[in-house]
Order: sequence, then C-alpha cells, then structure tokens
Amino acid sequence: MEFFANFAGGTAALFGDPVGVLVFAGGVLGGMLFGAIPGVSMLTLAAILLPFTAHLSPAHGIMLFSVIYCTGVYGGAITAILFNIPGAPENAPTAFDGYAMTRNGQAGKAVGAAVMCSALGGVVSALVMMAATAPIAAWAISAFGPPEIFALVFFGLTVAASIGADNIWKGWLSILAGLAIATAGLDPVGGIARYDFGMPYLLAGIHFIPVILGFFAVSEIFIQAEKKSRGAYRAPELSVNFPTLAELLAHKIAVARSVIIGFFCGILPGIGATLAAFMGYNEAVRWSKRREEFGRGKLEGVIASETANNAATGAAMIPLLALGLPGGALTAMMVGVFQMHNMEPGPLVFINSADLVWVVFAAMFFANLSILFIGYLETKTIINLLRIPFQFLAPVILLLATVGAYAVRGLTLDVIAMFAAGVAGFFLRRSGYSVAGIVLGLILGKIGEQVFAQSMQMLHFEWSGFLGRPIALALIIAAFLTLITSVYRGLGKWRESARHV
Amino acid sequence: MTHCKKILSSSAAALAALALSVNAAHAACASDYLPASNDRPGGFPKRALTMIVPYGPAGGSAQVSQAMAQAVTELTGATINRDHKPGGSGAVGMTAFMAAPTDGYTVLQHIDDASSAHARDSSQPNPARDLIPLVTSQITFSQIYIRAEDERFNDWNSFVEWVKNQDGQATIANVSKEGSMERVSMKLITDATGMRIQQISFDKPGQRYGALVGGQVDALFEQPGDVRKFLDAGTFKPILTLLKDAPSAFAGVPGLREAGLDFEPLFRFRGFFTHKDAPEDRVRWLRWAFQKAYCRESYQAFNETKYMTLIESFRDTPGTRKLISKTIDQYRTVYKQMGLDVK
Repeated sequence: MEFFANFAGGTAALFGDPVGVLVFAGGVLGGMLFGAIPGVSMLTLAAILLPFTAHLSPAHGIMLFSVIYCTGVYGGAITAILFNIPGAPENAPTAFDGYAMTRNGQAGKAVGAAVMCSALGGVVSALVMMAATAPIAAWAISAFGPPEIFALVFFGLTVAASIGADNIWKGWLSILAGLAIATAGLDPVGGIARYDFGMPYLLAGIHFIPVILGFFAVSEIFIQAEKKSRGAYRAPELSVNFPTLAELLAHKIAVARSVIIGFFCGILPGIGATLAAFMGYNEAVRWSKRREEFGRGKLEGVIASETANNAATGAAMIPLLALGLPGGALTAMMVGVFQMHNMEPGPLVFINSADLVWVVFAAMFFANLSILFIGYLETKTIINLLRIPFQFLAPVILLLATVGAYAVRGLTLDVIAMFAAGVAGFFLRRSGYSVAGIVLGLILGKIGEQVFAQSMQMLHFEWSGFLGRPIALALIIAAFLTLITSVYRGLGKWRESARHV
Repeated sequence: MTHCKKILSSSAAALAALALSVNAAHAACASDYLPASNDRPGGFPKRALTMIVPYGPAGGSAQVSQAMAQAVTELTGATINRDHKPGGSGAVGMTAFMAAPTDGYTVLQHIDDASSAHARDSSQPNPARDLIPLVTSQITFSQIYIRAEDERFNDWNSFVEWVKNQDGQATIANVSKEGSMERVSMKLITDATGMRIQQISFDKPGQRYGALVGGQVDALFEQPGDVRKFLDAGTFKPILTLLKDAPSAFAGVPGLREAGLDFEPLFRFRGFFTHKDAPEDRVRWLRWAFQKAYCRESYQAFNETKYMTLIESFRDTPGTRKLISKTIDQYRTVYKQMGLDVK
C-alpha cells in the first residue's frame, strides 16, 4: 500500500505542477531528438542543460535528467533501423537486424517493435526500481565484484562469436580484431602506453563510437554507393505497419529474457545499457533455433536489443539513488545536478528527500510510457525520411557521422578512425567477417581488460580464485560450454562443406 | 547534517592548523586584495575563451572547470567554452593545449597529473615553467577510509595490525596508475608502516567507492571532497589523514605525525594555465580574472561542498609554481626509490 501511495504522491507532484509538466515534456522530446541524431546524443543535451538545472528545483532538475536518459536510449534506435546509424552505442545491436528489416521493406515493423519493446523494458525496469531500490543495490555491489564482471564479459564474448559472420572462425577472428583494437592507448591499470606510435592522441585509445559509426554508417554508404554505381541499388520499400500483437506475443520469452538481462547489466556500475543491449541480443541468438536468420532482418533481434537497453535505464538509477554510485556518464552528470542543489545521491536522499525520489520514479515510469505514444506517431511520420533519394541522403549521413565521431572527444583522430573503420567495414562485410563482432570485441575488451586486471590483483594473481566465487564460476562454466558448443558446430559445418567440395 | 555543519564551521580553524605557504593575504578570501575591476587590454577578450579540460564531462575536473568558468563569466562577462579532451591521463588535453594558438584565448585546466607526468618524463611540459599558472583553485589532502560498520578494525592502529596479519592479502582501492599521486603516497605509507597491502586500481569513482561499500576491498584511498556523501551518510569512516596534522574537521582522525609516519604528504591540486608565449597584457588580465573569480561567492560555495576550504586552496602564479616545483621534486625522489625509470 505504501508503494502505491508513494507512487500516487509522486505522480500528483509531477503533473500537479505546470513547470514540472513542461520540464517532463521537454525532457521526453529532447531525449528522443538528441538520441536520434547521430553526432549529438543524450549526453550532449545533458551537458548543455547541466548549468541551467541550477535554476530549477532539485526535483525538476533530477527528473529532467532521468527522463532524458529513458527517452534518449530509445531515440537512437530510429536512425539505427532506418539508416544503419546507431544514435548511441546501446542501439548498435538494434541496427544488426533493424536495418536489414528496412532493406527488406519492413521499416515500420522494426520501428514499431523498437517503440513497444523500449517502452515495455523501461516500464518494467522502472517498476522494479520503485519496488526494491535499496535491497537490489546492496545485493548487486556485494555479489558482483571485478571477478564476476570479468566472467560476465568473457561469457558475452563467447556468445558473440556466432553473430553476423559467415562461420564461427570468422566470428572469432572478428572478435579478436576488436579485442586487439581495444588495447591501443594507456593500459587501464598501470597507465603504460601501448600502440601509440609516438602520437599523444593515440594515448586516448580508439573510442568505440567512431568505430561503430564507421563500420555501420560509413561502410553502408560505401556499399550502397558501389551498388548504385553498377546499377544494382534498390531503395528500401516504405511500410508503416506496426508489428501485430501475435508477433509480439510470439517473442514474449525474448522480451522477458532481455528485461532480466538489461536490468541486471544496468545495476552494475560501469556496465550499463550498451552491454545490456549486446548481451540481450547475444542471448536471443544463443537460444534461437534459427540463429542463421539473425543479422538478416529478424524481428527478434530488434526486440531483444531494444528491450534490454531500456530495461537498463531504471536499473542504472538504483546504485545512483541508493548508494550514490553513478554507473555511466549520464548518471555521473546527475550527481552534478544533485550537487548543484547542495544534495548528494545516496541513502540519505531516501530519508531527507523521499518526495523528490518519488517524483523522479514517477517521471521515469511515465517517460517510458510516453515512448509508446510518441513513438507510435513517430513511426507513421519519420520513416518517410526513407523517401529521400540516396544521392541526397548519403552526404547528410556522412556529415552527421563525421560530426558524431568528432563530438565524442573533440579529436580529429576519431574522424580518421571512423573513415578507416568505414573502409575496413566495406571489405570485411563483403568477406563474411562480422563488424558487430569487432565492435563488441572493442567494447568488451576495454571493460574486460580492466576488470581482469582488478580481479587478478584482488585474487592475488591466483587463477584458481575465480573458482572460489560461485557466480564467477557459474558464468565461466557457461562461457566454456558455449565455446565448446560453438567450436563443435563450427567443425561440423566445416566438415559438411568439405564433403560437398 | 550535523557533521556537515561542524566541518563547514570549523574550516577557519582548520586553515590555521596548517603550515602551508600561502602567497596572498586572506582576511576574508585570498584574492580580495586584487582590484574589483580591471580594464580589458585592447578589448580582450573580444570572443569566447576556450577552456581545455583534459578529463571527461562528469568528473571532478569537469565540475571545477564549470564552477570557475561560471565565476569568471559572472565577474567579467566573458564567455568561456569548455572543451573536454579526455584520455591518456591528461596527456591528450595537454597536447591539444600546446598545439592551440598562443593568443591568450585558450586556457588549460589541469591537475597534479601534469606535474607527475613531467617528474617521470622531463620531455613532458613542466606546468611551472612551460605554462603560465593563472590560479590554483583546489588543493586537497587524501585519507584512508574503511566501512563504518567494519568489525575487523575501527581505527588506524587496528587496521595496520590487521593488514600485517593478512600476509599481503589485504586490499585497498585507489587509482594506482604507475607513478600516480595515489601509488606514490601508498608507497610512502607502506614503507613507513611495514605493512603489505594489495592496491586495486579502479579508474571510475563509482566503481572505486562501490568496491568498498560492497566489501570487495578492505579500504579506500581518496580525497574527502569526493566521498563527502559517504561520510555524511556514515557509510565510510576515515582512519588516517595524509597531512602532518589533521584539520579540526577531522579531529578524531590521526594525521601523519600522530600516526608516527614521517614523510611529506602529497596533495591533489587543480588549477588553470595559459600559454607561456601569450601576450603579456592578456596574461595579466587572465590572472586577475581567474584569481578574482576564485573569491566569487558561487566559486567559494562550490569549493565548500568539496571540502576544499579545509586547507587553503588558493595559489597565485608564484605560489602555484612553487607548489608544482616542490611536488615534482617529491615525485622524482620517490620514483627513484621505487626503481621507476625517470627520464
């Protein structure tokens, strides 16, 4: 009863105040817009708005950021699906099947699925957040240390080898390439320079956002341009059909799985929505009987990714609000909003500012719901962008991608990296290698190396220490089983093709 | 809250407790002696200044840059655009700054990492010599923290005793990059106490603090302003202050002298710089603007929330140069003791 009373109180405070409604609406639309445009992101909007939150009440300032977080994660799915440009890294897996669906004339269905699943994942996550923030946060940080997170990353890598490549060997080579790229720059523990070739800017390493933009957007432009030059280009067909209820119900298990994965990844500081989306997608592939259809326009791919990344949003608020631990860049900026009002997120917020917390909870719940309604309208309108002829659309996409790559860190290096990835992606995609695998290797490589080094320090450089931690052990066993299964399958396919030859 | 108030009200006493050299008189605030206004030389700045911040948009450097930019704008009306260039422990931002035009329109925010980088490799810019310090606006000390409810130890002595009994198995979270202030300080502590403790490097503050809250590590090395919320909430407990004598705000926490540790503590400091070759009149104006902005109410309020008023955070140009040079000497001495390659 207390839960409902608090939620009702938060809702009344949110919608009973015209300023609150305006801030809420501005956050919903701003998050969607900035999330959808590559080159700017919800982080850009948050950074712009941060100083202005000093003029808002604490509840409105923090609520604004939490709403931007929810809708920003969804916004990037639209460009991922329509143009193969993930608005944010957490939308990259959405592009694997979403863009393929667009090419197959199913853009409406893909965007519709993204809308519904983003809303669903976000709403469920918000509800769990409201129900049990403090105990979940306490459990997560005591149960999940670096060894467990490393085991999770390792598990993620073993699953990823089967995504998007012609065969398991090319899948593994793609992942290893991503892991190799991740080693450039200062090592995350000792600060030792690696592969900088005497160039100080390379000390910052290769960021995954320019690589994503290069492999997805730029290489796609090259591929379509090449097709156009030989008269084989085919404009995607327009369709505004939403997925049917039956289609969504057929994927109920994938949705439930992605909610759990997304929520779980969201709770862990430093992991967040990006890993959630990749893990959600990976697991959908792993449990599918038709895994060869992934990457070619399978609805389940969009559903798995978008459910998981939005499910991570509510979860990421849990360590922030309950313990004062920001899990990512946006939640770290929210700490700044708290501090501007002489407050600190953490256990005391629930005691000193319970009203504020429930306004934020209510706002996140309704922000996720509003994705459903605004997204529905968007689906009917925004996909008309596909009517723009390729020769006009391609330069705009290249321009946006270039701005997006530069905006990450203000480094020309990132623009160069993006175009290099674009050229590499053009050839790798034609050769059956997985650009998704390279991107995942790069993202997980950076996280994985750091937690591995921390784990080894914590375990006093004894490998057997992993075996003494039940969660880590279970994940490592699962990873090895996946590895063995995938090698077995790969060998089977290899023998089969050898027999045909 | 009571704890908070106690700390804020005791900051003046804490100032007196420290024997740090301060270059400016500070009856109310360190730069009050500067004129309230200053003519712009030739109308400078005619456009927005650029402040290069060599760290991401969500950390301590981002916050101090935002607070200082706001204070300078309040004071002078000049707009400051912040340009974050993270990576390479500040090396990327420093490189970008050194490549920028030396017309006074580009300002660099940097922390003591720039000093330790030069101490390790003299080909890296020396912030005291190769740049012009405008102001140092944050100086803080470090502390060792444990979980408040930890039953294995509850103060510095019992902690040291417990660590010694663990035969090298005890752990402490910090940012232990090679040659960092944290690692050098820990080297000084472990040498002085004879204890062996495994340092676990957590780059992200959230992970670092979570490691202690969640019991993944036994202790944490950090600065008080960064963990203030955990102190106010009673989650963390400081057991050692890395100052000769602890400020009165942390009266119950032993300083180095009381703990019997005989070494000079290292400080975390953040400041603002411009190019050595920038026009002299512009540099003069920038110095005035940044030093005067330090005493703006908004900046002082910001520093208070970060525990940056417990010791005097202000250094003018000569004061900053002295602080940096002393720090570089300290680092070099310890690096040699640690067997690190000093170029």
